[in-house]
Amino acid sequence: MVELAKILHVPVWALRGFLAPLVYPGLVALLGTVLFLIWAERKMAARVQQRVGPYYVSPKLRGALQLIADGTRFALQEIIVHVETDRLMFILGPILTFTFLSLPFTVLPGGPGIYGFRSDFSMVIVYALLTLSPITVILMGWASSNKFAMIGGGREALLTVSGEITLALAMLSVAAMYGTLDFVTAVEKQMHTGIIGLVSNPIAALLFFLAMLLLTDRVPFDIVLGEQEIVQGPYTEYSGVLYALTMAIDYVKLYALSIAFTLLFLGGWAPFTTPLLGAISVYVKSLIVLLFSVFLRSVYGRMRLDHAMNFFWAKLFPLGFIALALGVFVHVIYA
Amino acid sequence: MAQDSNGGKRDDHRPRVNPILAHLEAIATGIKWLTRKPMTLMYPDMEEKRPEYFRGFIIFNYDKCIGCSLCAQICPPRAIHMYRVPGDKRIRPGYDAGRCIHCGLCTDICPTDALDVSPVHDEVFEQIESMDFDPVEWHIISKKLVEEHAKRKRKLVITRVDEEVGLRYEPVE
Repeated sequence: MVELAKILHVPVWALRGFLAPLVYPGLVALLGTVLFLIWAERKMAARVQQRVGPYYVSPKLRGALQLIADGTRFALQEIIVHVETDRLMFILGPILTFTFLSLPFTVLPGGPGIYGFRSDFSMVIVYALLTLSPITVILMGWASSNKFAMIGGGREALLTVSGEITLALAMLSVAAMYGTLDFVTAVEKQMHTGIIGLVSNPIAALLFFLAMLLLTDRVPFDIVLGEQEIVQGPYTEYSGVLYALTMAIDYVKLYALSIAFTLLFLGGWAPFTTPLLGAISVYVKSLIVLLFSVFLRSVYGRMRLDHAMNFFWAKLFPLGFIALALGVFVHVIYA
Repeated sequence: MAQDSNGGKRDDHRPRVNPILAHLEAIATGIKWLTRKPMTLMYPDMEEKRPEYFRGFIIFNYDKCIGCSLCAQICPPRAIHMYRVPGDKRIRPGYDAGRCIHCGLCTDICPTDALDVSPVHDEVFEQIESMDFDPVEWHIISKKLVEEHAKRKRKLVITRVDEEVGLRYEPVE
């Protein structure tokens, strides 16, 4: 990155601030990943049920262009804003949510030296930016003036509280374990000792993963957009490009959180130290996490709202304190 | 603790499952099924072989018809009606493919074999009105369908029930 800045005659910080949020790990990589991920999700669910899945859009590529065809359709579709909506919030909702969710990529490192800016509190920043989005999702549910959207927004409010407290506990125990709030330092400590976070604090990893599934509406916690109960949750009334954005929201969040999972628990760019190989390592690891989390769709059914709340508050919340205690003890390794 | 209608504890007659092992088992089962092959019949590219006297679209030969109207009389859903064709002394059958139930009674009763069954069963019509043929149209579309069916190059298969995979498709010549 430093050499590239020298060639282009621009300061390194400017290049970083441009490349990280827009190219990798930001929007370009994100777009490719989301397109691949939705295709892979549909293909895997189809395989488990002995179906074929998307195929006829491009038979030679096994239907990989299906998502591009869908995207084109959404782009050309009319955006219907019906009379009873709160117009401004209805239109701004998906755009604001997507904007909030693309902000964490300024501070999430995608490899050694590949980040927008480095901060001692990057974990806190990522957590704070990711927790902004539920507010706009609830507002979207309210602005739609539709009962399904309303119920969806309420569910989002309930589940966000229980999911984010678990995520916060997991992150806190990791921070206590590494003794830092910075992703880069956490990865360097894992590389230095050779023990990844998944081994040293598996409880925190489990909590992080489950909270990730809950916050991004993956099965078995896809309660917010329960398709069979409340058509599409808070996103029921959307059409056209705005609907495509609402669909992307969960995948963007999932992508950001799985990069965070990779950095905190899977050793980040662990075997490599050069920027290119390190970036590939982080990407591949987070892709495996992503694929596993969408694969669960074909294994589980949807949890009931009260069961999920009970599970998170009565089982995982106490487990979070155990993870925190474990993190404090394990700190000896990384000190 | 939840009580069932018998008054006993609900957990008594439920099998105990280890929560962690059960989840791992479920995921392992999912991964096992992920490696299985799909058992979809890729229909427009591949087709099941039809038996010899498969009753599909009824085809009509205008030249053989003697205009006896027996087909119109026997047709159970009244898909066949007799029409007057300009320049022809006799009445001829017309065909409503939307009403036809493919029973084949008309082909059985036809004294001159002007009507016959064909293996064509998947012809698509875009409008309901375009499925109603008068005698001349019926003659023309019958010829067209038979020719197209002869030209068709789809892989023909036979479906077999397999205990391992579920359904298996064997190619035939």
